[in-house]
Amino acid sequence: MPRSLPIPLAFIAICLCLAPIAQARIKLITLPPRERVEIQLDNPGATLVEEERIVPLIKGENQVDFSWANTQINPETILFRVIAPAAEQKLDVKVLSVSYPPNEAALVWSVGASDSGSARVRISYILGNLSKNFAYRAVATRDESKLVLAQYMRLQNLANEEYGKTEMWAGFGKEFLKPIGLNETKEMLMAKFANVPIRKTYTASLSEFGYLDQPQQKLRIPMHYVVKNDKASALGTAPLPEGKVRIFIEGTEKEKATTFLGEDWGRFTPIDDEMRLYLGVAQDIVVKRTIDRNDKIRIAGNLFDHAVTIKYEIENFKDSPVTLDIVENLRQIRTEVRGSDNGRDVQWELGKDTTFEGGPDKEKSTFEKQVFHVKLPARGADGKAEKFLHKLQITLKNEW
Amino acid sequence: MTARSILTLLLLLSAPAWARNVDLSTVPKRDTVQLTIYNSEDLTLVRETRTITFKKGANPLQFSWANTLIDPTSVELKFLSNGEQLEVLDTTFPHDKPQMLYWNVQSSFDGEAKIEITYFTSGISWSADYVAVADREEKAIGIEGFVKVINNSGEDYEDAQVRLVVGKINLVEKIAELAQINAPDFSRMDESKQNYYRFSAMRKSIDSADRYFDAQAAPATRPPAPKEIVKEGLSEYFIYSIEGTETVRNGWSKRMRSFAASAVPLKIQYRYRPAEYGDQLVRMYLLTNDKDSKLGTTPLPDGAVRVFRDNGRDGLSYLASQSVKYVPIGDKIELNLGRDPSVTFELVKLLASRDEIWMERGAANTFLRVGQPGVQIAVNSWVVGWDDHEIYAQRVRNYTAKPIEVEVRRTFPGHVVFRSSLKPTLFDYQTAQFTAGVQVGQKVDLLFEIVRHQGRNAKQNNVTLEAAEIKP
Repeated sequence: MPRSLPIPLAFIAICLCLAPIAQARIKLITLPPRERVEIQLDNPGATLVEEERIVPLIKGENQVDFSWANTQINPETILFRVIAPAAEQKLDVKVLSVSYPPNEAALVWSVGASDSGSARVRISYILGNLSKNFAYRAVATRDESKLVLAQYMRLQNLANEEYGKTEMWAGFGKEFLKPIGLNETKEMLMAKFANVPIRKTYTASLSEFGYLDQPQQKLRIPMHYVVKNDKASALGTAPLPEGKVRIFIEGTEKEKATTFLGEDWGRFTPIDDEMRLYLGVAQDIVVKRTIDRNDKIRIAGNLFDHAVTIKYEIENFKDSPVTLDIVENLRQIRTEVRGSDNGRDVQWELGKDTTFEGGPDKEKSTFEKQVFHVKLPARGADGKAEKFLHKLQITLKNEW
Repeated sequence: MTARSILTLLLLLSAPAWARNVDLSTVPKRDTVQLTIYNSEDLTLVRETRTITFKKGANPLQFSWANTLIDPTSVELKFLSNGEQLEVLDTTFPHDKPQMLYWNVQSSFDGEAKIEITYFTSGISWSADYVAVADREEKAIGIEGFVKVINNSGEDYEDAQVRLVVGKINLVEKIAELAQINAPDFSRMDESKQNYYRFSAMRKSIDSADRYFDAQAAPATRPPAPKEIVKEGLSEYFIYSIEGTETVRNGWSKRMRSFAASAVPLKIQYRYRPAEYGDQLVRMYLLTNDKDSKLGTTPLPDGAVRVFRDNGRDGLSYLASQSVKYVPIGDKIELNLGRDPSVTFELVKLLASRDEIWMERGAANTFLRVGQPGVQIAVNSWVVGWDDHEIYAQRVRNYTAKPIEVEVRRTFPGHVVFRSSLKPTLFDYQTAQFTAGVQVGQKVDLLFEIVRHQGRNAKQNNVTLEAAEIKP
């Protein structure tokens, strides 16, 4: 017969020297309250709850019940540790065995005590449905050069158990001492980073972002805020966990209220890496990309080189100068000129007719992804934008 | 309703006593009961003793086991005292009562005798699990091992001696060996004969443990302390004998500590082994089940390990849970803690090229190398062989507070040359392995070149290591 309990999580010390476990149905029990609770949130996939209670024990063998009706405690993870005697007394307390009754979310510790007295014990368990996530709120300065980044931890308690004053720790940053009620979601400010420099990027990348207008071969140009998680950016103390970032821009001197710019999922960002936040498509920057030449040069038999020239016609209709990032994926180029990907590595050389100043960005490029930067001035006072022409000359080598 | 195995002595003057409608019987209680749990076979040998008063002449004994999982072919009766004056004349399994048997015991004396009934039951199992708590600096770890006995056999076992057989036993071979018969002969036997050998072999297998256990009889009174679990090696397996007796009721489980070791030395290694841990760099705790590591008293049976770390704030951090396979004494214990966000691990391709391109002209079986001086290659020629060259940087950044050791294993199918100055070794014929240290805050590019002989150039299916300075 299942034992019914009025509260989801119950901890009971039975003040009887033990006869065989659970045979006696008439019991005198004490209910030691929680003295302290900690919720450890440092593991990305599990929440560890640790609670301390002071348990009265009698000399000899004691029975200590622990039950967790309607909660998702993993019974295999429950630990019972004696921290210290509650008062100044010598008390040797040991767990003798643990029994699990049938069809119940409960267990019974058999605890041996060298003397009568109270022991401070810590019970730890992995609790489901008590989860955390992270969120950010970023407020950019009016000139979009810096932002204030606030990092929040959101704790959602659907575990069907409430915890009073509880110490919570995410594995980094500060600890919190707060209660968390049933079905409650609590958002806590973990950290606030001021003066974080932002890089505003405009990226032309066919393989990543595709066309805005394919018949006209106009590329989609997304705009990102890029934040580097390093010390120079007033960050870099810990990886930035994944989370939704809401981005605002501060108001004018006259109109103080901030304006919502957009939101994006910030990916997990290790130290020294960049978090890229997509804000929207920059339709005032027009990039028309065409494959200008594709010459097959026979080396021998069915072995060819392909001399490929990609032409970019670029216009900036914005009132401010911008730097455009042009990203080319070499496999993508080969698929375009050959019609399919043969699966082999792309062997290639950069041609001398390439017009991008300074060549590829070595830090951001890999062998299969090349990144170039183009500085574009603001449109003229007459409202017209200058059209810039750039070429990328690539020779795809040894293809068949 | 609790199912019970019951022994009754039928108080009737003559056999067949069980034919009457009106019966009187006594129910001698169990004196002792002992469980030997063979997990790998879902089989538990139960050995119980009872004291019975016999009268001269025929003594019908009824043994029943309604609603339990006892194997009826395995039930055996043995006389532990007055054996020469007692004899089982016959055993009857009544057709209308499937979970019952009668022994017709002939006695030549009046008085008490101790009997032993053994049988096999299924539904009792045990499992091992471990709790490991590393210290704050992660230099040492405390490990506690537990065994949990789960009783779903339909029978309550009160005050039972419990012993657990650790290890997977191939019973057929074992039985054949102990019975001194050939395994093929065994497989040709019918089931009842196989059972006979199986049961006698299993009984024999625990005899030495019995003797050991009896010699270790616990003193009558002692302060409460966790029961010791005596571990004894026995042939190809271990027997864990739990000190004293335990009551394990039907439907209940009971978990007891089997060992505890504190300050076990610990090594941390980061590993990239996609075949074992997926496509990620994982952090490992490495320890050894030996005496130098304060372990090594017993092999560690299969079981789940839950790993924690002292978080330095008077609490624990939960690191991981994983199941470990049987760890023999002296072998390594490897605990995978998963990805560490403070260590980044990337593979960056720095260069790709092709050379040694060979062509075949038409179907003429004529092969020519591209670029060979003075050789003209006809238009109707086809690439049939080439070498791919790839240069990679295995980039590791360490943002932890300690220097780390990283071990990388990469598998390359085909005919491959692995060139680097990383002092690699071969893990197997197509897997190269190398290890490097990364200091605190350091970013290292571990450079290597792969040459893949393709098409006609491939002569082997293996990886060859070459020492070379790689420059991107």
